[in-house]
Amino acid sequence: MSYLREFKASDLIKKTKEKENQKSLIKAYFLDIFFVFYAIIVFQRAIYYKIFLEMDELPFSWGEILILFSISVIISVLWTSTKTSLACKILGIAKDNKIAKYTNEIFGWLLFNLTFIAGWIITKISIVDVFSPEGMKGANRIFTALFTPEFSIFDEALFAIIETIYLALLATVISLPITILLSFLSARNLMKDNKITFFIYYLLRIILNFVRSLEPIIWAIIFSVWVGIGPFAGMLSLMIHTKASNAKLYSEAIEGINEGPVEAIKATGANKIQIVWYAVVPQIILPFLSFTIYRWDINVRMATIIGLVGGGGIGTMLIQYQGLAKWNEVGLIVIMIALVVWVMDYVSAKIREAIY
Amino acid sequence: MSKNILEIQNLHKVYNNGTHALKGVSFEVEEGEFLVVIGLSGSGKSTLLRCINRLHEPSHGKIEFFKKDITHIKGKELRNIQKQIGMVFQHFNLIPRKTVLENVLTGRLASISTWNSLIGNFPQTVIDDAYRCLEIVGISEKAHVRADSLSGGQQQRVAIARSLMQHPKLLLADEPVASLDPATSNSVMQYFEKINKELGTTIICNLHFLSLVRRYATRVIALKAGQIVFQGLPNEIDEKWFKEIYGEEAMEVEIK
Repeated sequence: MSYLREFKASDLIKKTKEKENQKSLIKAYFLDIFFVFYAIIVFQRAIYYKIFLEMDELPFSWGEILILFSISVIISVLWTSTKTSLACKILGIAKDNKIAKYTNEIFGWLLFNLTFIAGWIITKISIVDVFSPEGMKGANRIFTALFTPEFSIFDEALFAIIETIYLALLATVISLPITILLSFLSARNLMKDNKITFFIYYLLRIILNFVRSLEPIIWAIIFSVWVGIGPFAGMLSLMIHTKASNAKLYSEAIEGINEGPVEAIKATGANKIQIVWYAVVPQIILPFLSFTIYRWDINVRMATIIGLVGGGGIGTMLIQYQGLAKWNEVGLIVIMIALVVWVMDYVSAKIREAIY
Repeated sequence: MSKNILEIQNLHKVYNNGTHALKGVSFEVEEGEFLVVIGLSGSGKSTLLRCINRLHEPSHGKIEFFKKDITHIKGKELRNIQKQIGMVFQHFNLIPRKTVLENVLTGRLASISTWNSLIGNFPQTVIDDAYRCLEIVGISEKAHVRADSLSGGQQQRVAIARSLMQHPKLLLADEPVASLDPATSNSVMQYFEKINKELGTTIICNLHFLSLVRRYATRVIALKAGQIVFQGLPNEIDEKWFKEIYGEEAMEVEIK
């Protein structure tokens, strides 16, 4: 009778905890290597070369980087193995002593400042340029033109902006069914129970993250080569980005539902599909609707931007007049875009309020 | 002769975070009993109930339901057992934005084909049964009201009706009155008593208040840190046992 033998729970507990700690420790090694390598490389390139040696052109060689990387690997492995490192602290396996506390604080502070200084140098911030007489003159010229819009192109602009709104709407609506399907498949709480579904979840997350990390404007460049410049390319690029980013939002809504009803329906002996349909779906319909309307609003703005690279609509028109330096016409287009975005923003906020 | 419908032997539960919630719990439940489980929060009461209907996976030990080992069954076999065990929760766990009737009907999902449940096609006999269950808990006039617009006590009665839809052989109740006021608590407990006495349903119920335990329980189990420290009749819990179960600091609170 196996169930009657003494159950060594302490072994199981120890094993579970050890496994968790081991996983965290491996993560900590990688994270520390990253932190240290980052700190060294930023220090060498942005501070040592730029500030101490005052070089304009930075030398670059893979050999040098490899050496720095090896150094950081050695340092960080030594550091992590003492369990006083920053990554250990972040992953919650650090020793609780004074040395760990101070090293973490100092190193964290160092990382932040290094990043800030490097950012300052890279963007070549120069307050002088902003307020120089020439700069002011240029700004004055452009603002004067923008505030005296040219109304002769009003009809054309109106047509273009309607095209943009419809393009955005179509991209949102067409992507909806696939977005919903993807969101269920990439919701952790629905997929974690089974190894196969968990693998699908994991794979989908990676793909969606990749697709989402490319902004619509980059997709627009790809599609304008693929299907030709115009509204269709714009719509395709918005659609693909909408799917990826809304699938994420939706799946987060699914992950954030109240688990109570799920438990209750599961307890009645219902199957997986019934659980999702009766306990999950009723809880997410409104958030989904709200996100979708919000996404349309976002897509109208995005459609304007992707128009700049040939996605059709008001954006394409804007870039044409900008290229001809017809600033008064540009002024009218900008005002119309602002107006439409403001109205969309207001309307979508009102609709979302009404839903809840 | 009454017979055991549930036998639990040496049940352990260790959660993934390392918490050892149940440490070798063994007991039996006879048909028709109103068994009450008491103990402090965190003593393992909820875990125990969730292991019985397998919402949680036991780590070790054995659970027999009608002499059938259900400790590690899976899939359809598990759903078939869950179908026979009703459960009522502390926070009611009704589906918001759905009517009372729709909520009660979900109790019968396990007997409906997946397709019919997707299009919401419940046979008339099932709908009639839902009204009957609502009548048992005296709330049939609210059938078409949205469940989240009801008061706490009414919601819990709907949840009871939902579990009755399963025609359960065993009804589990996880602190069913812990989020209700005293008067409502009593009325909800009376429905459990009615189900136990009139329908003959066996009930295992987690409770906090000893006065409720004394009034409704036919037998009591006390859990402390995952182990059974007391088994017996409700009136056997005297001052000494009370302090043993709830700690020296505890004071008994009356609930009328």
